Amino acid sequence: MRSQLPLILTFVAGVIPVIALFSPHPVMVRIASRADRWLVIMYAFAILLGVVSVVQSNTKKIARRDRGWPYAIVLLAGLTVMGGFGILANFGIFGGITTVAGRPTPFQWCYSNVFLPLQATMFSLLAFYMASASFRAFRARNLAAGLLMISAIIVMFGRIPVGEAVPFVPMITEWIMDNPNAAAQRGIIIGAALGAASMSLRVILGIERSHLGLGKGE
Amino acid sequence: MRLADRLLAVDRRIIYLLVGIGTLIPLLFPIGLPVTITPPVRSAFEKIESLPPGSVVVVSFDYGPSTAPENDPQADAVLRHCFARKIRVVGMALYSLGGLSVAVEEMNKVAAEFPLEYGVDYVNLGYKDGAQAALRRMNENLHELFPRDAFGRPVSELPLMQDVRSLREVDLVVSLATGIIGEWWINLVNAQFGTPVIVGSTAIGTPKYYAYLKARQAEGLLGGLKGASEYERMLSDRYPVVAEIYRSPTLYTATQGMDIQTIVHLVIIALVVLGNVLYFVSRFRPASGDRHA
Repeated sequence: MRSQLPLILTFVAGVIPVIALFSPHPVMVRIASRADRWLVIMYAFAILLGVVSVVQSNTKKIARRDRGWPYAIVLLAGLTVMGGFGILANFGIFGGITTVAGRPTPFQWCYSNVFLPLQATMFSLLAFYMASASFRAFRARNLAAGLLMISAIIVMFGRIPVGEAVPFVPMITEWIMDNPNAAAQRGIIIGAALGAASMSLRVILGIERSHLGLGKGE
Repeated sequence: MRLADRLLAVDRRIIYLLVGIGTLIPLLFPIGLPVTITPPVRSAFEKIESLPPGSVVVVSFDYGPSTAPENDPQADAVLRHCFARKIRVVGMALYSLGGLSVAVEEMNKVAAEFPLEYGVDYVNLGYKDGAQAALRRMNENLHELFPRDAFGRPVSELPLMQDVRSLREVDLVVSLATGIIGEWWINLVNAQFGTPVIVGSTAIGTPKYYAYLKARQAEGLLGGLKGASEYERMLSDRYPVVAEIYRSPTLYTATQGMDIQTIVHLVIIALVVLGNVLYFVSRFRPASGDRHA
């Protein structure tokens, strides 16, 4: 029963939206609509699960003095402060989450002065790493790599005003994006969709059980 | 060690310095290079231009601070376009960091430039968790999904939302997206419910949206900072009131950002070319024995 019930639930939950998509019967539509509503609620619980998991793994890390454990303290402190202000704000404590009479609330202040610059800095560093990596690793070692490199240079050059002023460069850039790129993207999207569909079918039919912590024979 | 090998093994901090200088120079001395309009951005602009005043556009802030330098100018340009045309805007976010911060700040900033009333001309519904399931629910009942707006007011009391019960009453969706969220809007809202969708993506995510654009599942595409700068240019050309706003020296615009992008792109192109020239020089140099022969 421990393994059968989750499989039955998975089958029912997986089959409902599929049938509802192909059968517009009012009863089926109502059931699918209710299932969607439950799914939105379950997503919210998943956040709670994520928070519990982060707290558990990081407290263990601190207790064991694992490598980088001081960072775990910073993480938990950030989670507590931002999460605390956010939750309390929902009860009207500390004045909400945005501004009160033009002044930022504690949540908004932390967000604007700590979180926002940190995240912007992390993402900005990518430009430096990409420049270094492209100098060291972007090599025309064979025909395919050479074609990729030439396309990349044309697109990078064609996406800036200096390149747009050069005859034919904008036209070639749009052609690359519209044709070889769109064709490759289409292949990737269709391939990924087929993969997702087959994996979903395996999960719905109970062939794939690893998400339940069960092996094939269990 | 030969010169080519020495240059190939250059300290990465020198490369960082080059990129840093390339970023700083246009910041200190703006160049103001003009951008050319590309078809994906033009079709996005013309789509909003075709909507009559009073239409409803959902602007979904599906991004956070990390991609804000690219997505913020897109959001500002689309909002200014809608407000200049007296199109009503319903703001929301499917990305947690977009709802309570980005959407609030951008909508408040742009709305203050026009004579608008909150709840009548625009609303901000805030963030909703639930991903694709939330999108499916939106087509049936927006009020159930967003019982209160981002500021805690009951949505049913907002005059604009009395006209908008679900996505069926929405004329267009503009998703300013990082990652996969733009695809959700296309795959679920456009493909299943037929609502037109425009995506404003980060430059790194732009290539995949060309497949949707070619399939006409996306009405238009604003790709990264370049897309935003093109939109700003079209907007300034068509609406003098918006052109005046963009002339403000305190306003960060995508057009200013394109100066930095231009120099940094040129630095990276130069590094790739140099790296390959050095690679081939070091690969095809004569063996040490040959030199003594």
